[in-house]
Amino acid sequence: MASPCEVLSRAGRTVAREQLRAVAEEAWRIEEKFSRYRTGNVVDRINTAQGTPVDVDPETADLLDFAAELHRLSDGRFDITSGVLREVWTFDGSDRLPTAREVGRVLGRVGWDKATWVRPRLTLAPGMQIDLGGIGKEYAVDRAALLAAALDSAPCLINFGGDLMAVGETNHVPWQVGIEAVGPNGGNPARYIALARGALATSGDARRFLLRDGVRYSHILDPRSGWPVTGAPRSVTVAADTCTQAGMLSTLAMLMGREAEAFLARQGVRYWCMR
Amino acid sequence: MGVEPWERGVLAKPEMQLVVDPLEAGIDDHIYFSKEASSGGRGFGGGGCGCN
Amino acid sequence: MGATDGGREPGSGQFVQRLAAATCSLLGIGSTVPVLAQEEPTWALDTSFLYYGESDERVQDLSLNVLARRLFADDKVLSFGLVYDSLTGASPSGAIPLNEVQTFTRPSGNDVYTVQPGELPLDDTFLDTRYALTATWQQPLGRLYTGSVGLSFSTEYDYTHAGLNFGITRDFNKRNTTLSLGAAIARDEIDPEGGAPLPLAPMGNIGDLSARRPGTEDKDVVDLLIGVTQVVNEHLLVQVNYSLSDSSGYLNDPYKILTVVDPATGEGIARVPAPGTAGPLHEYRFESRPDQRTKHSLFVQGKYYMGGKVLDVSWRYMTDDWEIDSHTLEAKLRWPLGDRGWVEPHLRFYTQTEAEFYRPSLPVGELPEFASADYRLAPFDAWTAGLKYGFRTASGNEAGIRLEYYRQDGSVPDGLLIGNQDGDALSPELDAVILTVSYGFDL
Repeated sequence: MASPCEVLSRAGRTVAREQLRAVAEEAWRIEEKFSRYRTGNVVDRINTAQGTPVDVDPETADLLDFAAELHRLSDGRFDITSGVLREVWTFDGSDRLPTAREVGRVLGRVGWDKATWVRPRLTLAPGMQIDLGGIGKEYAVDRAALLAAALDSAPCLINFGGDLMAVGETNHVPWQVGIEAVGPNGGNPARYIALARGALATSGDARRFLLRDGVRYSHILDPRSGWPVTGAPRSVTVAADTCTQAGMLSTLAMLMGREAEAFLARQGVRYWCMR
Repeated sequence: MGVEPWERGVLAKPEMQLVVDPLEAGIDDHIYFSKEASSGGRGFGGGGCGCN
Repeated sequence: MGATDGGREPGSGQFVQRLAAATCSLLGIGSTVPVLAQEEPTWALDTSFLYYGESDERVQDLSLNVLARRLFADDKVLSFGLVYDSLTGASPSGAIPLNEVQTFTRPSGNDVYTVQPGELPLDDTFLDTRYALTATWQQPLGRLYTGSVGLSFSTEYDYTHAGLNFGITRDFNKRNTTLSLGAAIARDEIDPEGGAPLPLAPMGNIGDLSARRPGTEDKDVVDLLIGVTQVVNEHLLVQVNYSLSDSSGYLNDPYKILTVVDPATGEGIARVPAPGTAGPLHEYRFESRPDQRTKHSLFVQGKYYMGGKVLDVSWRYMTDDWEIDSHTLEAKLRWPLGDRGWVEPHLRFYTQTEAEFYRPSLPVGELPEFASADYRLAPFDAWTAGLKYGFRTASGNEAGIRLEYYRQDGSVPDGLLIGNQDGDALSPELDAVILTVSYGFDL
């Protein structure tokens, strides 16, 4: 998960410990199963299949169904096969951009439409890879939250590195979550969100970028062109019913670049942008 | 005439508000109120003055 | 800009619903529970510093403006405004240039000032400081209505204003149409230096306040507004307002005068101050305006979004029972520059006809009920051309700088010229520079 994870629970001490254990085990389970850094897990088998079909378990199939639906709903902006673009893009603050030719070559191996997904069988073209990092963390938060809620109805907050889900009773003092965001006039104060129930997820550029000729290239790559999105906010925080939804909305907002706020305004969700 | 709620993206941009900068609008209203015979139209200003 | 920016956006309004369905499927739940997230309010501050300067040693104004807004839960807004204004310099008194030296008594009656032959008489008595405060509360009233109530107050050494305003808006047609109604009432108190001069009273020597009314004067103003805002399409918004303004009470400028002239030559009438005192060397009379004025205004504005640029165009027509008609045409084009900045050229054209009782000078022997030589009631055209540059700073605050040039050019109708008077010399002319520097941030 590569970020600190915590559980804040208002349940009694014994139950809280059980909730913590359940959440931690679920987080580690999902990490081991879906991380692209682990050898032997389902993602590794898919990424080393060299064009041969791979049959997956129901949970993985559910994630692939979700990824396929979001690829369609987002007109291709969300694409779990776009990870290979990191072979030509290194966002180290330098001015080293890849050439159009280099990007073009890698782009040939990007595109969910180049994969064949008929549940439970996934066939990637040779050289393609999938990366579930874009949905894995938020999915883990939601799964963990369901487990914690099943153990006790007292308010409980799951926080995996800034992606949050609050479950349990709502007639208590809400959780105070601090975020950095642009105010109605500009300004980056610490803003405080009173979260009684539901999720907050943030997508940001974490100061990873390239700078050349005065143009700043953020690390959000559009999988349709292979090039970075221009004019994206520095970070976007969205409030939604589940962390999966909040994460997807904030990711897509970043992918909309200059139109991030307009996109989120259209969806009727509460959001905070930092530019 | 009009748009569906999900078509309001552009209209939600701050630069598409009818009065983008209320402070600047107030300053200009006051300048022109002191130098010309007309005033207002958009809304109400903050009030009169003895500008000579 | 290719497919990465502003391309076909994901779906229509069904995107959120489909995302919710896909999520329920993924998590194996029937439905989601609605999120409860509320932002804690902060203060948003807008500040602006203004320099206004006219050429030829006329008026200069420095002012500081602050607007503070606080958002509360459920879309309630409280806002406070503060303006501090410091005015220096000289303003035309309404007297015309003559071929001789002119001397005038100051409004206080305590001193005189002198103007050289051929010079436009300017009165530099007004070193004035003004403070103004506004407070407004706005909140939704049910799903489709918004109401607002506000107070305004301002004070300077010879003028005080207090006002109350109300507004209500109602949305129709999926919020594509908004109807606005507004009303404002104000009571202003004028306390002229030396007392208000009696209408068309002659300007007296030092110490002579016999033709003045002691005490303060009052002015009442009622404003009514009705407006419609309409979303035409995704990129175009239009507003039409009709407003009515009714002022009654003391509407004169207590310091403005008219030069009394020979009906044949148009030259000034010499006068000798009483022995042992100083006073005017020519005859002048204080102006007189009606004690009632009704103005009607029609205002139309459009905002048009053109792929990142925003065009703002407006027209205002005003007509009143002083027989003044005016048109104001204004256009602004906001042009994005890079990721953080924008530039906005601005053009404004204004034209007005003269008040029915406007005259540059008064022939001796004629004593009309109303007369004023105030250039602001004269016929003139005015142009403003300006450029504003704004940007978001690295810390995310808004900054802006604006430079504008304002020019007024009048032409006195021949029918109002007397004898050998030269229309060019009497026609109002004004050149001014406007500079504003602004900064917005949150607390």
